[in-house]
Amino acid sequence: MKDYLATIVENKKIANGVYSITFRVDEDVQVRCGQFGEIAVGGSHLLRRPIAICKVEGKHITFCYQVKGEGTQKLKEMSAGAQLNVLMPLGNGFFVEESEQKVALVGGGVGIFPLISVLRQYRGEKQISSYMGFRNKAAVCMLSELSKANKSVVVSDDGSYGAKMNAVQAFEADLAAGNRPDVVLACGPMPMLRALKQVAEREGLTCFVSLEERMGCGIGACLVCVCAMTNGANARVCKDGPVFNAKSVEL
Amino acid sequence: MANLSVNLCGITLKNPVIGASGTVGFGREFNELYDIGTVGGISTKGLTNEPRLGNPTPRIAESRGVILNAVGLQNPGVEHFIEHDLAWLKSTGTAVIANVAGKTLDDYRAICERLDGLVDMVELNISCPNVKSGGMAFGIKPQSVEEVAKIAKSALTKTPLMVKLSPNVESIATNAKAAENGGVDAISLINTLTGMAIDIERRRPIIANNTGGVSGAGIKPIAVRMVYEAAQAVKIPVVGMGGITCAEDAIEFLMAGATAVQVGTANFTDPYAMPKIIKGLNEWCDRHGVENVSELTGVLTLNQR
Ligand SMILES: Cc1cc2nc3c(=O)[nH]c(=O)nc-3n(C[C@H](O)[C@H](O)[C@H](O)COP(=O)(O)OP(=O)(O)OC[C@H]3O[C@@H](n4cnc5c(N)ncnc54)[C@H](O)[C@@H]3O)c2cc1C
Ligand SMILES: Cc1cc2nc3c(=O)[nH]c(=O)nc-3n(C[C@H](O)[C@H](O)[C@H](O)COP(=O)(O)O)c2cc1C
Ligand code: FES
Repeated sequence: MKDYLATIVENKKIANGVYSITFRVDEDVQVRCGQFGEIAVGGSHLLRRPIAICKVEGKHITFCYQVKGEGTQKLKEMSAGAQLNVLMPLGNGFFVEESEQKVALVGGGVGIFPLISVLRQYRGEKQISSYMGFRNKAAVCMLSELSKANKSVVVSDDGSYGAKMNAVQAFEADLAAGNRPDVVLACGPMPMLRALKQVAEREGLTCFVSLEERMGCGIGACLVCVCAMTNGANARVCKDGPVFNAKSVEL
Repeated sequence: MANLSVNLCGITLKNPVIGASGTVGFGREFNELYDIGTVGGISTKGLTNEPRLGNPTPRIAESRGVILNAVGLQNPGVEHFIEHDLAWLKSTGTAVIANVAGKTLDDYRAICERLDGLVDMVELNISCPNVKSGGMAFGIKPQSVEEVAKIAKSALTKTPLMVKLSPNVESIATNAKAAENGGVDAISLINTLTGMAIDIERRRPIIANNTGGVSGAGIKPIAVRMVYEAAQAVKIPVVGMGGITCAEDAIEFLMAGATAVQVGTANFTDPYAMPKIIKGLNEWCDRHGVENVSELTGVLTLNQR
């Protein structure tokens, strides 16, 4: 973990309201899939924005973000050459055990981006099935990355791209067809994760979810970003997470 | 190289920069980024006798130039701190300031007795705006400030006591004086100002607790004014905070009457804020021919009106 002064190499639109920003830093960064960075957008914005690290290619780090509020809007307006501080890599990330060969990725909305990093880290080594849900056709992105999975299912809420269903339903359909993974890795909106947790419990599947929470420090010091664990304790999403075994957290 | 060390009611801080309570935990995480022992002091997350889970999330929101938080004093309890963190934090060489909170006078007495002689200083949080029983009840009325100060002081025979004042009061000078009358060794201020931020799409406050404590760059002028008024009212040392982002900000507080400063929200914006402020203080002093940073305390001259 280090605060990098990162230079923007490219900042481009990849789908409706979604951008991909690539930074160059002065050294190779060791990143585990599912880890994130805290991007300082500067000015009157005192909090950094937590964004999943999507791609790492040596000194080039790519994040993909949806424009939501003022901070991401500001990020969108920045051009190549501009410099920003990025604190990274943060959090625990996804980890696939040696014994787990078949990996299912279930992602919805901006939740697909940390899963792209999983795909990039484990492709070739593991047998990966990807189930990604988008709101509609205009939101669909990352198809060339997704096509590198052993199996890639892309669906949309309104049926304008692929089948009309969400990512969990797509996963369940394949499960019913006999494609049972050793582990499920997921990220997306809370209702999606809740539904997936139920499926995983019902089917006895090991499932890891990456959570979102508003953050202060991003490194585990301030206890702003906690989530409730099933054992009654709180965990810090930024440091103990963002990835948790679904059965250990209250969703 | 200016001499940055300061004497805060008998304890020597290697420099006047202290990590503000609740923003740096017990120092471990920031120590992964830089040697936390280079910071003058660390004020711990607010400790209570029993562990606390704190408020529901979201616990934080942003508004231009400031943030709001309502963590609600989540902490592992004083015993856990003593067992797991204290020795390590001491070993770093930073001054250990235990920030403590309670619901009742007995809570304050018990936690002070427990920490007496173990830490370098106790900072009594009677100003947390985010929990019904976070001590703010004690922080509003001057009589109760004095009362809780007296009880904490009587429980501390070896360790100096600092009381952290709430800005959400009628007169900061009166409350500062009340703390001094209660026999404390120093005062610190300001804790956060109570505020609200609304998500207009959802027509609800962003923070689960509805209101939160406002901190960060935007509160600095209010904090400087309050530190000045408090410093004028008392003879004991004052530790100033509220929106400090750079060395120049820290110097404003020193000039207004502070002996040392605390840095909170700036640690979130820039995790290296404290080492940068310490470096900047040294450079500023050198540029201005100031040999001892302590010379700056209270040098402010008001304009003639
Ligand atoms: C670990 C993690 C990974 C993430 N990865 C991605 C990603 O790859 N792509 C992507 O588009 N988004 C991602 N998000 C969500 C992203 O952080 C928010 O959309 C973003 O912070 C919104 O900032 P803003 O300035 O546009 O919104 P504003 O509403 O102006 O933000 C105000 C404050 O609230 C915080 N905030 C608002 N929404 C969220 C949220 N959903 N989660 C956390 N903080 C929030 C902001 O960081 C900021 O501090 C991730 C969140 C987390 C916690
Ligand atoms: C996330 C957060 C948690 C805090 N927790 C505490 C606490 O436990 N006890 C306390 O006395 N003050 C607490 N504070 C207040 C700070 O110590 C400080 O008084 C305030 O933030 C003003 O300084 P700043 O503007 O530099 O942040 C907290 C502040 C923040 C932002
Ligand atoms: S954001 Fe500070 S502990 Fe997670």
